[in-house]
Amino acid sequence: MTYPDPDDPVAPARPGVRPFLQSGPQHSTGGYTPTGEQPPVESSTNTLRPFVITSGRTDGGDPDIGMETQVTLVPGAPPSRLSPETRAIVALCEESPISVAEISARLRLHLGVTRILVGDLRATGQLDVHVLDNDTPDPDTIMRVIRGLRSIS
Amino acid sequence: MDFDPSANRVVGTARIPGAPAPKKAPVPVKIIVAGGFGVGKTTTVGAISEISPLTTEAEMTSESVGIDNPGQATMKTGTTVAMDFGVLTIDQTLKLYIFGTPGQTRFAFMWDDLVKGALGALVVVDTNRIDDCYPAVDYFERAGLPFVVGINTFNGQMSYSVEEVRWALAVREDVPVISFDARFRASVRDALLVVLDQALDKAIRMKS
Repeated sequence: MTYPDPDDPVAPARPGVRPFLQSGPQHSTGGYTPTGEQPPVESSTNTLRPFVITSGRTDGGDPDIGMETQVTLVPGAPPSRLSPETRAIVALCEESPISVAEISARLRLHLGVTRILVGDLRATGQLDVHVLDNDTPDPDTIMRVIRGLRSIS
Repeated sequence: MDFDPSANRVVGTARIPGAPAPKKAPVPVKIIVAGGFGVGKTTTVGAISEISPLTTEAEMTSESVGIDNPGQATMKTGTTVAMDFGVLTIDQTLKLYIFGTPGQTRFAFMWDDLVKGALGALVVVDTNRIDDCYPAVDYFERAGLPFVVGINTFNGQMSYSVEEVRWALAVREDVPVISFDARFRASVRDALLVVLDQALDKAIRMKS
């Protein structure tokens, strides 16, 4: 009994199992040359995306960065190489101050991912993150909210 | 309190001379709207918000499962919870955020974040499914967050009276139990004003 040569471009050894062998070597005269072959795109890549975007970090970022924390652009920040996600965050901050929750919602990024990326952009000097020193509500602020609410109809 | 940029911890303020002055960021305050599935949280948020409610997704991590024992409901790791929220600009320097959060299961990982710095909470109740709001009431009681129980009168009708709901929930005497209609802005505004009254009481007590 003779076994087919797995490297034979004319008669692939196991058609269907290793499809890249079927097309034969692209630019070689023989042998197994995976160069130029693309790995199949996994349909489950989506589940990995958030971790890919944050380079594997899943801790949710700085606990001081809340959902309502306001973020503004640092004017004239030095240019920096940004990923598509961080570039989109910077673009959102260009117009007016925006909360972390709004960034997350508008870019359809998970909240934890958004917090990590906003923290990164703060660290690189692209964004100002306005963390309140004292987040216990004071009576004066509450009074202003009450007056503001009463004025709406 | 007027907004004072120096009161904020701002990192990365290096500026090029001549660059436009940075826009002042408003001080954000927040109120939480909690309740079971389908009790009208999003309707409540949408009625008062100046923008259409936005949705953000938070991931429940494996550590959170350890912190929060969800009890009868079994939560798998990596569960994504959607939160609706709205915004109301009080003035140039003050913005009110209203976060609607699932309440039938205790997503404590998220609530800890949410409650931090919150003025108070409105627990929305459907009288047909009163027990849906128990976890929210439990949580806010333990967290010491001022809260108000708001019975959503969907069609202007309630299966139980305010007193009966108060009895069923066994909340403290000083916790207001009110009825409101989540579809109407003025009704939601009044419910939030009751929450703010509670918040003001607590803030004054804390200060003195």
